[in-house]
Amino acid sequence: MKAWASKLAATIKAACPALLFTLVWFGLLASDSAAQYPDKPITLITPFAAGGSSDLTARVFTTYLSQYLGQPMLIKLVPGQAGQKGTLEATQATPDGYTLIFNDNFRDQLHQYTFLNDYYDTLEDLVAVARINYGQIAIIVRSDGLYQTWADLEADARARPGQVLFSHSGLWAALFVPAQQIMRALDLRFRMVPYRGGGPAKAALMAGDVSFSMAFPATIAADIEANTVRVLATAGTERTLEGVPSFVEIGLPPNAGYIHRIVLAPRGIPEDRLAVLRNAFADLQANEDYQAAMRQLGENTAYLDGAEYEADRIEHSLEFRDLVEAIAGTLRLQ
Amino acid sequence: MIESLLAGVDLALRVDTFIWISGGLLLGMLMGALPGFTTSMGMSVLVPISFLVGDPLIGIPFLIGVYKGGIYGGSVPAILISMPGTGASIATVFDGHALTKKGKSRKALEMSLFASAISDFLSDIFTLVMIIPVAAIVLGFGPPEIAAVMFLSLVIIAVTATGPVIKGLIMLCLGVWVGFVGADPFSAMARYSFGTSELYDGFHLIPILIGLFALPEIFNAVKEGDMPGSSVASFVGERLRLDELKNSLRTIFRSTLIGTGIGVIPGLGQPIAAMMGYIAAKNSSKHPETYGKGELDGVAGAEAANNAVNGPTLVPLLTLGIPGDAVTALLLGAFMMQGLRPGPTLLTSSGDIVFGILIAMVLANVLFVAIGYVTIPFFARVVTIKKSLLIPVTIMLAFAGTYLARGNPFDIVTLIGFGLIGIAARQAKFDVAPMVMGFILGRELEYTFGQTLALAGDNWIRFALTERIGMTAVVLATPVIGLLLGRRMAYFRKRALERENGDVL
Repeated sequence: MKAWASKLAATIKAACPALLFTLVWFGLLASDSAAQYPDKPITLITPFAAGGSSDLTARVFTTYLSQYLGQPMLIKLVPGQAGQKGTLEATQATPDGYTLIFNDNFRDQLHQYTFLNDYYDTLEDLVAVARINYGQIAIIVRSDGLYQTWADLEADARARPGQVLFSHSGLWAALFVPAQQIMRALDLRFRMVPYRGGGPAKAALMAGDVSFSMAFPATIAADIEANTVRVLATAGTERTLEGVPSFVEIGLPPNAGYIHRIVLAPRGIPEDRLAVLRNAFADLQANEDYQAAMRQLGENTAYLDGAEYEADRIEHSLEFRDLVEAIAGTLRLQ
Repeated sequence: MIESLLAGVDLALRVDTFIWISGGLLLGMLMGALPGFTTSMGMSVLVPISFLVGDPLIGIPFLIGVYKGGIYGGSVPAILISMPGTGASIATVFDGHALTKKGKSRKALEMSLFASAISDFLSDIFTLVMIIPVAAIVLGFGPPEIAAVMFLSLVIIAVTATGPVIKGLIMLCLGVWVGFVGADPFSAMARYSFGTSELYDGFHLIPILIGLFALPEIFNAVKEGDMPGSSVASFVGERLRLDELKNSLRTIFRSTLIGTGIGVIPGLGQPIAAMMGYIAAKNSSKHPETYGKGELDGVAGAEAANNAVNGPTLVPLLTLGIPGDAVTALLLGAFMMQGLRPGPTLLTSSGDIVFGILIAMVLANVLFVAIGYVTIPFFARVVTIKKSLLIPVTIMLAFAGTYLARGNPFDIVTLIGFGLIGIAARQAKFDVAPMVMGFILGRELEYTFGQTLALAGDNWIRFALTERIGMTAVVLATPVIGLLLGRRMAYFRKRALERENGDVL
């Protein structure tokens, strides 16, 4: 048998897989440039700890969003440094539309003014894809407590400055910031007691350790029903509960006490990809299962397109900066 | 209430519920056994499955299965390769891994399984029966009481550590100091972070655990080499005998009580329970000197206590809507997505479903034993691998597990750093357990103490003497308890030493 022929055959045999591999590889590359975005899973960074309400919200909308994107959206938990770690990672990600971040307005619009942060500026580094929803905080007291109305609480706080105890869920977070806004707007001083999250802050109120606290309606629905908790005021201009004044009625700024949950992309993402993402979130709103799941969680689905939300972002951010500058000097005393 | 309990029995006895619980248990055990993959991470990945099935009697028991399986699963790497996957299995390392080195890994794993399942079963029944009366007590434990309990725990851990009390104290203080690294919880000002953003958040528990417990073990194994005659890790060993389990029943019951008590109070958690269960077992033993050298009772004491925490953590969640930790926060979300709102009205509005879930939880423990028993041979076989293969695999698990925990490259540096500390501590005969517990508890103590100061305001004497008698009592009792325990331990050490000398002579 001709030696060269068998050698050739062997060479071809050996080369075949390599050739095939190369072809497939090139095929993939070609399809990558030609295919519709997205053609691989999208990573959603969430700078929250596992198990919080934000984590759960993210798990709900990513579950239903995949059918509109044609690709799954995978959650990557990057907790730490009060959310700065995850935010930093998102601002440094390649703006190719495959890395997004799910954040709240405090981490997105306030934190850059507070923790001596030189690493990023969210307003410049990130662009809003969609606002998922918002929540309006409520000022709560125990039903069997001293205060029947907000006026009672305010009068007591004025009579005993720095003596009325308030439990919050952590520095510069959803309960702490509105309380600071109240103190600033009404020239009051509460004694701020920190707890790890909204649950323990509520527990402190129920135990009678503190005089008042705040909570989002979903977390106190059962308590209102059982008449163990009384709501004194809710955020916003309009009343959301019958007979309970709004924040504006008691003399607070209209934007105080809101949490916004937002999906953002690194700025520099191609316009067409941003449009694909924004459309997917817009289409998601018509999904009955998504709506039902969010209702079960007690969350609304007050969606806002990213382009519209951008203006709000800047406005709220300036308000937060004012607040931080005004109270930064007083914080150490509490 | 009795009617809804009976209705709950009806609801719980469903084949599909038990199939899902089994799946949850198996997944939980696998995740728990994977170092770095914590129970809460596993559960948060699986939450969507629980709400997609759309039936509270499937979705929630499934997650509870993951929870139970995960806390037990953590003991597997702790026993086999001295790698506690979570804080809950620190105390399991002491005797669990010593048993493996004696070639009794199967016995250790089976003891861990039975102790876990028995205590889980008993504490679940406690939860089911006592959920309403106990709920009233829970709120009595605020930050001041928790701070006092933390203080007491720290003292107990220091005086009962192996070796001289002074060494235990040094390691404890070192651990507390390591916990101070990072932003202080009240003003968010950085401490000991050297201006780096990595240290701003402080050290993470997983690399410290793996570094202090597993790396020194690997180092030792490498140093000893693969001697053909001493291939200790080449057989799995015998099964657990019934009389051995019977001997440990007292310990299991004691640890169940400890774990249940700790579980009811939101904010204490499995690591303290396991440690206290272990210490109590050691302290009440007739031969405490065998603890830490491969004592089955030690495994039982730790594992029974950490699993006993699981059920009772549901009490504050279901009756008050207050989640005590990440796992119960996830369960809170899972309940809400099924249309059940944990809180004061839950038991009156949907008592039958809640009792159904609780009854399913009690019965799940039977499956727990069965599934655990089937998987043990697979797990136990891990150590039959040749040392030259087992060591690289263990190193890989240590590093991969550390990275997996939160995907932060800096944690690898932390792992190596604490590995070196662990190796040095072992050479100098310092026990690393007080250091880890100091790290875990020191942070909590600082936080709860700060909260206490904020609550007390200026007039703290009045606060301590009139409003928080419980806290004051615990704080005053702590030195007494510490002194008594320390003396007892010193006596045991002396006796053990005399006995050793007696043997020699």
